[in-house]
Amino acid sequence: MPADPHSRRPAVGEGPLTRVALIGLAILFLAAFLALPLAAVFSQALAKGVGAFIKGLTDPDALQAVKLTLMVAVIAVPLNLVFGVAASWAIAKFQFRGKSLLLALIDLPFSVSPVISGLVYVLLFGLHGTFGPWLRDHGVQIIFAVPGVVLATVFVTFPFVARELIPLMQEQGVEDEEAAIVLGASGWQTFRLVTLPNIRWGLLYGVLLCNARAMGEFGAVSVVSGHIRGKTNTMPLHVEILYNEYNFVAAFAVASLLALLALVTLAAKAALEWRFADQIAAAKR
Amino acid sequence: MAIEIRNVEKTFGAFTALGGVSLDVRSGELLALLGPSGSGKTTLLRIIAGLDHADAGEVSFDGQDTRDRAARDRQVGFVFQHYALFRHMTVFDNVAFGLRVKRKAERPAEMDIRRRVGQLLDMVQLSHLATRYPSQLSGGQRQRVALARALAIEPKVLLLDEPFGALDAKVRKDLRKWLRHLHDDMNITSIFVTHDQEEALELADRVVVMNHGQIIQVGTPTEVYDTPADSFVFDFLGGVNRLNGIVDKGVARLDGHPVRVDGEVGPEGPALIYVRPHQVELGVAPADGVPEGKWSARVSMVHAAGPVARVELDLSGRALEAQLSRDRLSDLALQVGSWCTVDFRHARVFPARA
Ligand SMILES: Nc1ncnc2c1ncn2[C@@H]1O[C@H](COP(=O)(O)OP(=O)(O)OP(=O)(O)O)[C@@H](O)[C@H]1O
Ligand SMILES: [Mg+2]
Repeated sequence: MPADPHSRRPAVGEGPLTRVALIGLAILFLAAFLALPLAAVFSQALAKGVGAFIKGLTDPDALQAVKLTLMVAVIAVPLNLVFGVAASWAIAKFQFRGKSLLLALIDLPFSVSPVISGLVYVLLFGLHGTFGPWLRDHGVQIIFAVPGVVLATVFVTFPFVARELIPLMQEQGVEDEEAAIVLGASGWQTFRLVTLPNIRWGLLYGVLLCNARAMGEFGAVSVVSGHIRGKTNTMPLHVEILYNEYNFVAAFAVASLLALLALVTLAAKAALEWRFADQIAAAKR
Repeated sequence: MAIEIRNVEKTFGAFTALGGVSLDVRSGELLALLGPSGSGKTTLLRIIAGLDHADAGEVSFDGQDTRDRAARDRQVGFVFQHYALFRHMTVFDNVAFGLRVKRKAERPAEMDIRRRVGQLLDMVQLSHLATRYPSQLSGGQRQRVALARALAIEPKVLLLDEPFGALDAKVRKDLRKWLRHLHDDMNITSIFVTHDQEEALELADRVVVMNHGQIIQVGTPTEVYDTPADSFVFDFLGGVNRLNGIVDKGVARLDGHPVRVDGEVGPEGPALIYVRPHQVELGVAPADGVPEGKWSARVSMVHAAGPVARVELDLSGRALEAQLSRDRLSDLALQVGSWCTVDFRHARVFPARA
């Protein structure tokens, strides 16, 4: 059979039919599991018109939920940022005993059901928990109050930054830092001028993901918050309450805010990748 | 600056990377640390720089112990094997780094920094690339940026870890010469690590040969090449024929003929006879047999490219390499398959290990 050089396939790659089928399958899957629900959220929210939608969002309890969610994120994200950088720095750049234990601990929130994470805090700080009586005597309330919500969120989100940074830092090694030190830089100068720029993209991704999770966390927060309307409800909890009260328009209105947050996060990530593609490639080199 | 290294030891777990190393580095010399992979060269260099700490022993600069001097205060220039350039900084900012991180009291004004960096970039011939990022440079250019960066802090000591390791042969040769000139101009003490014996012999004032965490020999290139301390150094400096012979009643013999030996013959019994290819003398084999005291060999290959010809021979079943001038080669009219006589001008004998 004479070989036609133009019909040769590339070494990697399939025939056009397979390709179309694969792409089609991926799109179908995305549509069914991502786009459709997303569209449903917005259409439900707007089912009774823009007026009802806005009313649902400007309800005082809803506003309070948005406020609390933002506050939780504002506390949890910086905490995790600091912790994540410190932990990954320690793990990637130093040898010490108990390193694998630390690694396992960082992964704990991923491997434990969020509900259990919440329960742990109830067992520790709840009225009948280990520190409960002492806290009550000193007039501090953690469970069924804002501090509990913050604690649970910090716990659930703390792997995000560290997990993003550890592989990156391990791959980069310590040579750059050593070069800086030999050139006379102090520890802080080395961190600020060499390490931080080397990890900034990984750090940004970690923060974006951490933020999305902090605002969207349901399970752990649900256990510790006590669902007090206008006080300890975050947005996801508020959505659930409204939904259970058959107040669908309001529920989906708040839900659409959360969905919007997810979309903004994605867009921000994509925009960063697009804008700084060359620098990201250079940093990974 | 002179560096004294006294009984420095370093272990990693149960592994001894440096087993009691002592060395005097003279002020202003260009010293090569030469040894096979894993012999502890980088470890020694890092200890001098303060990037690692010796488990025992001491390193002093001009007679002052450096134990309490952190790496950042040692004022050494260090060029890393893979350069370790800051990838998010331009060439200019890389070179300026060491000046900009100085303590406020010592930091030059920005204008002086610019001037100084400009001079350094001129010196390494990279002024036109000042605004590039490291990823946009060739290997040789990166290497020169790394050098300029290390020199910016006006170090008294320059340490280079396999400075030419990642470069191709031509660039290596050029940079080698250039580094030698630079060293002479800067009035600096330099130590460079290499496992390329040719590089060490050509470039250095003195060569330190290391193996298994020990210093085996220190000497000028001529000294270590002509009078290697032991069979390892002989081997490592390259291009050597090893022939199985025997020491019998104080005479080294190869196929029954006595071999002229420099230095000790060593203990009786099986021995290895070491001969450099240029110490092998070839002669025309006369028609009426081989003269007394000479060996005969058959030519198996002739490489006649370049100024020196290499001839591969078969000496009663052993491979032997000889080097001779092109003129001598044509005088002898050697061809593959022809026979010639063999003699050794200089040979060393070491006991054959069991
Ligand atoms: N951080 C470390 N942990 C454990 N072992 C190490 C460490 N650093 C070096 N070693 C070991 O110490 C020995 C000497 O290492 P060193 O890097 O000094 O060798 P080298 O002479 O520079 O070799 P090369 O020419 O391959 O660079 C090696 O066997 C190496 O495996
Ligand atoms: Mg090395």
